[in-house]
Amino acid sequence: MNQQEQITRIRVGYSKGHSLRFTGHLDMQRIWERLLRRSGLPVRYSQGFHPRARLNLASALPLGFVSESELLDFWMDKPLPLKEIRSGLDSAAPPDLEIKSIRVVDLREESLQSLMSASEFEVEFFDPQDPETLREKIKSLLNQEAIIRTRRKKTYDLLPLILNLDTFTQDSGEIGLKICLKAEPGATGRPDEVLNELGYTNTAYIVKRTQLILSTSNR
Amino acid sequence: MIVNQPSNNNLWRQVERILPAVTKPGRYVGGELNQVIKSWDSVRTHVALVFPDIYDLGQSNLGIAILYDILNKREDIAAERAFSPWTDMESTMRKAGIPLYSLENKRALADFDIIGVSLPYETLYTNFLNILDLSGIPIFSRNRKESHPLIIAGGQAVYNPEPVAPFVDAFLIGEGEEAALEIVDAYQTWQKTGADQHELLTHLAMIPGVYVPSLYFVKYNQDGTVNQVTPIHPSASYPVNKRIMAELPPPLTQFLVPNVETVQERVNVEIMRGCTRGCRFCHAGMVNRPIRERPIDEVLTALRAGLSQTGYDEVSLLSLSSSDYSHIIPLIEGLRTLLVDHQVNISLPSLRIESFSDALMDELQTISPGGGFTLAPEAGTERLRSIINKPISDELLMETVRSIYRHGWKTIKLYFMIGHPQETLADVQAIVDLSKAVLQEGRRAVGGRARLHVGVSTFIPKPHTPFQWVAFDDPEGIEEKLSLLHDGLRGAKIKMTWNDPDASLLEAWLSRGDRRISEVIYNAWQNGARFDAWSEHFNGDHWRLAFQQSGLDPDFFSKRTRSLDETLPWDHINSGVRKDFLKQDFQWSQQGKARPDCRQHCYACGILSTYNKLRLAAPNGGWKCP
Repeated sequence: MNQQEQITRIRVGYSKGHSLRFTGHLDMQRIWERLLRRSGLPVRYSQGFHPRARLNLASALPLGFVSESELLDFWMDKPLPLKEIRSGLDSAAPPDLEIKSIRVVDLREESLQSLMSASEFEVEFFDPQDPETLREKIKSLLNQEAIIRTRRKKTYDLLPLILNLDTFTQDSGEIGLKICLKAEPGATGRPDEVLNELGYTNTAYIVKRTQLILSTSNR
Repeated sequence: MIVNQPSNNNLWRQVERILPAVTKPGRYVGGELNQVIKSWDSVRTHVALVFPDIYDLGQSNLGIAILYDILNKREDIAAERAFSPWTDMESTMRKAGIPLYSLENKRALADFDIIGVSLPYETLYTNFLNILDLSGIPIFSRNRKESHPLIIAGGQAVYNPEPVAPFVDAFLIGEGEEAALEIVDAYQTWQKTGADQHELLTHLAMIPGVYVPSLYFVKYNQDGTVNQVTPIHPSASYPVNKRIMAELPPPLTQFLVPNVETVQERVNVEIMRGCTRGCRFCHAGMVNRPIRERPIDEVLTALRAGLSQTGYDEVSLLSLSSSDYSHIIPLIEGLRTLLVDHQVNISLPSLRIESFSDALMDELQTISPGGGFTLAPEAGTERLRSIINKPISDELLMETVRSIYRHGWKTIKLYFMIGHPQETLADVQAIVDLSKAVLQEGRRAVGGRARLHVGVSTFIPKPHTPFQWVAFDDPEGIEEKLSLLHDGLRGAKIKMTWNDPDASLLEAWLSRGDRRISEVIYNAWQNGARFDAWSEHFNGDHWRLAFQQSGLDPDFFSKRTRSLDETLPWDHINSGVRKDFLKQDFQWSQQGKARPDCRQHCYACGILSTYNKLRLAAPNGGWKCP
């Protein structure tokens, strides 16, 4: 095999816990670059005087959220048994970043960002909410013809981005929310905007991303 | 459950709720790689290490990182970190009644046994008071009880501890690697006896390097100068000798890796401590003597270990004068291997013009091509450079500059100071002329791509230096010199940065003050002074008002030339360099007489007479005293 044929693309599923709740997207990239450096794996670097690991994060997670299902691709100069890759990543992972899954992905496959289709979230409120009131609020929100909002000086309709919005009962017995939002390039809904429409500020709740849905089946 | 971590901690639950509403909340959560969290109840002594500025700045402080490592290596000690909250977080915390807490176990600072505060520079003093207040701990030592944490302060600024003496129970003067553990030992022994806090303080006072200000009485003369500082307890020594390490301990390699961006994220390894050049304005060069070098293998091994434990892509070698390191060329060769293996950026700060060679430049070029190159001539004329004991000839400077540009570096940064003793406007004009000549050299070597930055700071006569007796240049004088520089460099395509003269004046008051200045600090803090090291927060009016409220004359501290036989407020603290030596050096400066590097010849500064036993006991300590 020549060098080009040895290049391997690895897709990692990982969780992002409380210590990383306020670590933004760019900082997450740096966390991954460092994790990969520590792992000792034959990670593929860019050329030049300041080489950087080539990596690709599926979808930025808003500041303050935790997640149990983030996805990232990185590249290696040569293949290795998955078990070896896994233990390299496990040993290098910082607190509250847990490797959930790894697999090899076809080099020709599109980038994770362009495969993104939707994200699922769970919302937990700091103060207990009355289930009936909450359901009423949801109903009247979804019954609107459009939910026009402004983000970065652009107006858009939030309503078609909401694929699902429902209550659920948490382990604690309190009522929470499940939200599924479209996450396509150029059409991504944010849970905090839905919550804002329901009358909650960002100090009232905490959000966890539970799943990323990719467009071609569920890669 | 999504919420809830760590369990059973109501304080943290409150904090989690407010974080989304403040800027950069990642500063306030901890949870970094290589953080040490011990079960709170499983350890005997809890120590909070505090850097009184925001996380972004304090997190990379090497002093805190070293003590964190040393203390946490002891099973019976938990060392945790705390930093100043930024102003929005502070007001949010105050509104919600949330006290300052540690990043590890998220415990209120008041729950700790000992709080160790790092004070590397004076403009942190108001933040220090604010931290005590945010923790619900009385600001003045005399108002604290046994139930309050013991407040210890250390760092370069406390070589003159007097301005903050009433707020601190005990100072650690000098190097803390051993003394920190001895302080904890003394604390644990005292705890067992159940004696009162005075008993603890007297025990602490017997640890070499520890200064307990309440065990000393300060008597003033009619004119406001200090008459004498007298110990009032048998355990209080006079003078208090600073603490030093006979041999530098193995360097730290397990650096915390922040989850949000901070000012410095790199593997820092100290290659030597101390400096033998004896620049007369330089506090660090005087108080950090003697010079001790780390073996080259230890440095390289530590860099590799640090890189693999952090994943950083940058290393920095720390010292006051890197090019004076005995094995600088082999060290750079070693760094080159490191660079090839790890693909890292290397920074080697503090290179001295006198110790440059073409060979060194060739080597440096291989590890750090392109980018900028920094030199610090500090003054514009040979005359003034002799006075400040940085005797570099114009010719050597120009030769070095030529060589730097020719070796391919396109940007040079020159550091100067204004306000030196005996400085005239001609010396300041010479900075302009020199800078232009340097850029001219650059243009000749690399054409229009040559760049020059000029950094100008204001000289502050610091305690324990040969210039400790001289007056701080008055603000009008500084302004005049600055405008001369601005006018002179205008249109020359030279970028100039400078310090706010008002902020330098504050530094002069705080570094040269006696115990009475504490009242000014307290009043200024009450007036709203915070983050004095931040230009957007510093407000000189808070301080001028504070002086009025305290009935003290600011000029007395900054403008006055002190008499050679005056008792200086910090005379009872011994940096190891004798006052007589400083006096002689000051007199030499007035004669324009330079003192050569003391690696070759010992000038009996006092270090060896104070610490020779220590040196003899550590034959591998790497001391470079002749």
